[in-house]
Amino acid sequence: MTPVAGGVALNLALGCSVLSIITLIAYNRTLDHRLFLAGQRLGLAISFFVFISTFILGYQLFVSNFDIDYVARYTSYETPNIFKISALWAGQSGSLLFWLFILSIFNTVTIIQNQDRHLNLMPWVIITMSVIQLFFLILTNFITNPFEPTQADFVVQNGNGLNPLLQNITMAIHPPTLYLGYVGFSVPFAFAFSALVNKDIGALWIRSIRRWTLVSWLFLSIGIILGGWWAYQELGWGGYWAWDPVENASFMPWLTATAFLHSIIVQEKKDMLRVWNMVLIILTFSLCIFGTFLTRSGVMSSVHSFTESSLGPVFLSFVFIILASSFGLMFSRMTVLKSPRKIESVSSRESGFLFNNLIFVVMCFGVFWGTLFPVITEWFNGDKISVGPPFFNQINTPIGLALLALTGIGPMLAWKGTSNNKLIQNFALPIAFGLLGAIIFVFLGFTTYTIISFSLCIFVVIAISSEFIKGVKVRKSKFNETIFLSLYKMIEKNRSRYGGYIVHLGIVLMFVGFTGHAFDKEKEFGIQVGQIESVANYNFQLTRMYEEERPNHYAWITDLRVSDAAGNFITSLRPEKRVYFHKNPDINKRQPHSELDIYSTMNKDIYSIFSSVSSDNSIAFIKIMINPLVKWVWIGGYILAFGTLIALWPRKD
Amino acid sequence: MDFLANHIFTIIIFVAPLIYSIQPLLLSKINVINNAYDKDLLKRKKIILYRQIKELEMEFDIGNLNKDDFLLRRSEIKAEVSEIIASIKKK
Repeated sequence: MTPVAGGVALNLALGCSVLSIITLIAYNRTLDHRLFLAGQRLGLAISFFVFISTFILGYQLFVSNFDIDYVARYTSYETPNIFKISALWAGQSGSLLFWLFILSIFNTVTIIQNQDRHLNLMPWVIITMSVIQLFFLILTNFITNPFEPTQADFVVQNGNGLNPLLQNITMAIHPPTLYLGYVGFSVPFAFAFSALVNKDIGALWIRSIRRWTLVSWLFLSIGIILGGWWAYQELGWGGYWAWDPVENASFMPWLTATAFLHSIIVQEKKDMLRVWNMVLIILTFSLCIFGTFLTRSGVMSSVHSFTESSLGPVFLSFVFIILASSFGLMFSRMTVLKSPRKIESVSSRESGFLFNNLIFVVMCFGVFWGTLFPVITEWFNGDKISVGPPFFNQINTPIGLALLALTGIGPMLAWKGTSNNKLIQNFALPIAFGLLGAIIFVFLGFTTYTIISFSLCIFVVIAISSEFIKGVKVRKSKFNETIFLSLYKMIEKNRSRYGGYIVHLGIVLMFVGFTGHAFDKEKEFGIQVGQIESVANYNFQLTRMYEEERPNHYAWITDLRVSDAAGNFITSLRPEKRVYFHKNPDINKRQPHSELDIYSTMNKDIYSIFSSVSSDNSIAFIKIMINPLVKWVWIGGYILAFGTLIALWPRKD
Repeated sequence: MDFLANHIFTIIIFVAPLIYSIQPLLLSKINVINNAYDKDLLKRKKIILYRQIKELEMEFDIGNLNKDDFLLRRSEIKAEVSEIIASIKKK
């Protein structure tokens, strides 16, 4: 199909979204079921037309139709096929269409899944989702259309090609995963909005969105971790998190969503925190839209600023509309929302959840303030101020450690209140092990934060393990099962609870990795073939330096022989310096890029970057970093995903 | 005619969803039987409450719930389940 069909499909989707909203509002007034059916089908039609236009753009990227401006900007004949597809979300208009595409998938699944369920909630769920789709359709139809023809008075022979930083397999997966997370929260938000409109505030709507929230949270978590992995593999500064505004933009909704995931447990079990849950889901969705705004508006300089635009005011207006309408509606329903129960004891599990929630929100506020402070200052007095990692680390390290402690404390508290005897019984062993660890770390000469962090990790692991052991003991004595069968049955029967504990273990391992950062070492040097340089008890010998021409870039490659202090061979590292788009005669369009090489083990990574080469090709400038425990961040990520999958796994009723 | 022949597939793709969407509006009035829906909703509520009782027992067994609270919560849920079962029977 032609690109024109893509544009037409977007027009039709826009028309369907307006009709869907009107039809369903009419249904709410008349209760004529024909209107509901038509509104439901129009909701499906919006998604269908969005699918068509997305597939058309994907196809145009794949066949390199440079008559389309977007295709010419983000691909070239040399771009590998996999990255031609990932170019779909490399630029502004494509990424907004992609957002819409994912939203349409969720919209379709929600409508089909609830065809005969939640008949009271569904009309407003579809209206809310159609309004969100309408917003993105207005953007893609009128402000940044991905099917715009190329504005050139000559035939475009080749495109610009994709930014080399984006030509990485992780980068082909990271944005879609993150978008699945961002967009996924539109479903719980739509249910929450509908519950408010219908004054149907009980625990049932919470139950029906729990799985959606978990799925979105899982994708957002994986997206954030993959982003860190990409930064570590590709950006060449040796870290995975820089408190970049766009990183923060994904972290903020993650914080509020994590708080929401915890507090809905309290509403499910105790019918408390109704207002708080509404506040959290509204904030989470608003922050998701705000995150898209930060990524796409170009309002902040960031490693993610692949595009810049004037979309800022439009996005901000939409965020404002969401906040005003949702909170306005929430306040008008305050009498229905007020929970009949109250927290009775500080040492209860519900207060543990509330503390955890407050800390998450405080952390979110800290990150929000640090991210926006430079923009606000510039608006007010024109001064450009940058708020860097020291600010965020100073604020978030103690808060993060408090959260880590609660990860272990929470599961050991009983609902309603914990007796003093029970407190001593539950906490004695984890505290004893934590303190023992702290003493050992003091003797090893670790810094204060490192000692606290590692000791808390031990405390949490023991606390969670004891929860598993307690559960297995109970089952074993009650059903006379073997230990393994008890463990399996216990997890199987209480998936969300024990899946959650496994997620906590993943978080602990990630903290071990974060703390390893305190022991990083690095050195930058120039080296000639045959010479040896030493960094932190490792020797690096440059054995070879050569050049290679590849399909879409030119590469200088170094061969580094790595050995330990005794001279034993450990590994060979081959960091590269690349120049992309070498076929372009315009030298300014050639894009240099350092492709690093990492030797990764469980206790440390040896990270090598080929920064540059001397003009006579005789000296290679290399940067070596020794990064302890980084692998535990990624292992923690796997365990987090595994635990979430357990919690998500459907059960037989 | 040539245009139609060349673009028939595209036209079908664009027109079919629109006809599908507005088709319910061309029907005579639909009377929805809310009874079946309500019954389904009640059955789901019942399953959720049964699950909550099981979880409550587990919490109590491993010591995360004191006896008074356990008995109170269990009797509350049981009363709720009884009401739901009665409503299902009525329908």
